[in-house]
Amino acid sequence: MGSTKKLDMQTDDNKKHYAPFAKINGEHPFKAQVPEGRVEYQARVKKGGRVVFFHFDLAKEMGLIPKDHPNELNPELEKQILDTFSIQIINEWDIENKVQVPADEMKPNTYMATRYLQLQHPDKTGRTSGDGRTIWNGQIRHQGVTWDVSSCGTGGTKLSPAVNINKRYYQTGDPTISYGCGCSETGEGLETLFFSEVFHKNRVKTERLLATVEYDKGLAINVRAYRNLIRPSHFFNHLKQGNLKTLKQVADYYIERQVLNGDWEDVREKSPSEKYNYMLNQVAKTFASTAARFEDEYIFCWLDWDGDNILMDGGVIDYGSIRQFGLFHSEYRYDDVQRFSTTILEQRQKAKYIVQCFAQITDFLVKKKKRPLADFKNHSSLKKFDEVFETSKYENLMYKIGFKEKYSADLMKAHLNHLRVFRRAFTWFESAKSQKGVYKVADGITRDAVFCMRDILRELPQLYLTRGSLLEPLEFIEIIRSSYATKNDLRMTPMLKKQIQRFQVSYLNLVDLVAKLENKERHQILLDITMRSSVINKYDRVTGDSITYVVQKVGKSRPRLKSEEIFNLVSEFAHYQTLNPDLRKKISEDSGEDFPVRQKNILRDMAGIVRECREGL
Amino acid sequence: MYAGGDARANRVLDDELFRMVDAKNPLMAYIPASSYLSEIEFQHFVDQYRRFRVKRFLHFPVDVPFDRILFKEVLKADVIHLGGGNTFHFLLWLRKTKMLEALRDYVHHGGILTGLSAGAIMMTPDIETAAMPSFDRDENHDNIKNLDAMALVEFDFFPHYRNSPRYDAEFRKFTRKQKRSLYVCPDGAGIVIDGERKVFVGPTWLFQDGKKMAIN
Repeated sequence: MGSTKKLDMQTDDNKKHYAPFAKINGEHPFKAQVPEGRVEYQARVKKGGRVVFFHFDLAKEMGLIPKDHPNELNPELEKQILDTFSIQIINEWDIENKVQVPADEMKPNTYMATRYLQLQHPDKTGRTSGDGRTIWNGQIRHQGVTWDVSSCGTGGTKLSPAVNINKRYYQTGDPTISYGCGCSETGEGLETLFFSEVFHKNRVKTERLLATVEYDKGLAINVRAYRNLIRPSHFFNHLKQGNLKTLKQVADYYIERQVLNGDWEDVREKSPSEKYNYMLNQVAKTFASTAARFEDEYIFCWLDWDGDNILMDGGVIDYGSIRQFGLFHSEYRYDDVQRFSTTILEQRQKAKYIVQCFAQITDFLVKKKKRPLADFKNHSSLKKFDEVFETSKYENLMYKIGFKEKYSADLMKAHLNHLRVFRRAFTWFESAKSQKGVYKVADGITRDAVFCMRDILRELPQLYLTRGSLLEPLEFIEIIRSSYATKNDLRMTPMLKKQIQRFQVSYLNLVDLVAKLENKERHQILLDITMRSSVINKYDRVTGDSITYVVQKVGKSRPRLKSEEIFNLVSEFAHYQTLNPDLRKKISEDSGEDFPVRQKNILRDMAGIVRECREGL
Repeated sequence: MYAGGDARANRVLDDELFRMVDAKNPLMAYIPASSYLSEIEFQHFVDQYRRFRVKRFLHFPVDVPFDRILFKEVLKADVIHLGGGNTFHFLLWLRKTKMLEALRDYVHHGGILTGLSAGAIMMTPDIETAAMPSFDRDENHDNIKNLDAMALVEFDFFPHYRNSPRYDAEFRKFTRKQKRSLYVCPDGAGIVIDGERKVFVGPTWLFQDGKKMAIN
């Protein structure tokens, strides 16, 4: 009797704990504020799901579970997750075919799929495109931040490319059509999980995986969360269609969320001109610094004219085509059957194009008349973009060398010319490509980078500290050469010798300038750089390929891994891949020493994979 | 030979170390037991020895490919420190990279070699003590069969010792079978060998032929 009572009390406590889940019920202000920006769907309970992953830390940050909730999936929590996220929309095919759903399986509210521009669609103005297999579950506000929550794999919508190319509706799960079937897979979720957590730890803005619910045959619903899931493409369709009313609604909705989340100044009550120009300025700065960061971190994110693969604040969304290269493989192009993607270097122009579109949007919103895009090719926002891009490139370079932020600012102010000389030498090595030329890889084409800048930046300060003199050219090459370099690539030409000399002299010159600015000795700065650079440029850093193999590894181990274990693994993996020297980590507490042997073995294998793939795509 | 612990716990051992260092501007090389998060250990290492006015440091993981340039510089260091971690993994890579021989030569030519926990065990004839006690031992993930180490000393060493019957029972059994002396030290304690001189720093016990004796 007593134990039954205790159990009842526990269940009541749990219900209280998990009450915030009830707020995620399909309701979202975007529905009312931007009526032409979404399609609404009724939804039904999807049976047979099991929670294979739940992000306890993210759920705590979002206020879904209490801060002191153990990182364990109890039956009540699993039930809450399934009740909230295990749903399937009633799509157009279901309605056409009069699919009967028992009343008790119907969800009370509708769920929206949002409309946005997508280049895969035959209609290039975005009248038919948007979330093709995703719905927005809703939003939740906690500690001053509103989070959007969406789920991928909840059924095929009429906004998918397949529906519009083939001009017919599809049943959710129809095996004859892959992307248009409205389903997602567990592997996709895990890939997003591992990549996004590493990015998040390294301060790259990104959507994050909150939960994965798995069904038979590896199908899954992957639940993602972010502070604001609006993309440039959510604006671009209305711009292309000349739909001022809806464009204004999207802009006002977006601005309001940015303000409420504390990310932007409160410009809501300002004049339209001030308000929308503020937005334009933010977009210009964001896309410039993001494009520079992507280029410098070798992050390949297929930016294109539709503004689809990126969030408005430069956050990464949809990891399907995201990669991080180990070297500057700047000629890699993803082969998407009908077209090749942009390269890393072309991302800058695409980002700038997005800003140009926002200049056009701003003008349209203020003057209520749409002018051609070409009218904005010399707009001041594009100059701003170039300025911020350049500044970011220098800042990123100094960060990679290992200079503290305050040193960078001083150097930029007082010695830009010296920085420029080093940047030129750095870029010469970074951009050097193999004489082997362009060749096909599994998912595209590439041309190998010859030098590993991370290796030279890691070892150089140590060697200068030890020796106090420049390296011999052959020694320099021995360190900087990548595994892709052939004998021909490394032939010691007069030009190569000259560049080695220039690199080293200008590097030490910067060190000396910082020493002077800081009133320190050269060795003190070199030691600082040595320590910072050993973290920033650590030998093993994840690449797109390594994430794929890591996920395969987890996939193979997964039948035996519980949701909590995957959570522990990804937390430790992201910790190991945190290359931020300002986050001084405690080794003994966080290094996974207390892990069960099985998880330790998996982690060890993951580290081996990362090491193996460290120079690849 | 450091049994474990942080910079503060090892202050006395560090003082002993710097009594042996002649160079005015010494170079210290840090070889971690594993590259996994070793950049963080390196930061702690630098912090620990910067207090002794050391200005030159090298970080040299051996379980990732390395170039000969850094390798040669390491062997010129005034002090080489072997870090703590999984002893089996460390031995595997020290052997694979021929660092075992190189470090032995380094010591025979007057270099100062220090080691903490796994790094200290590496200086003994073999690393069997890494598999003790049975309830808290290093895992031999790499399944190494050859446990021979540097044999720079003739005794065995056990770090992170806790003075308890559970530990003692295992060490008594071990030294009944294994005829060498086994020195055991808790964190913050250790042994300094300088030529013929052997100094025990902090509490140390000797196990021999199944018997336990307090040394220090």
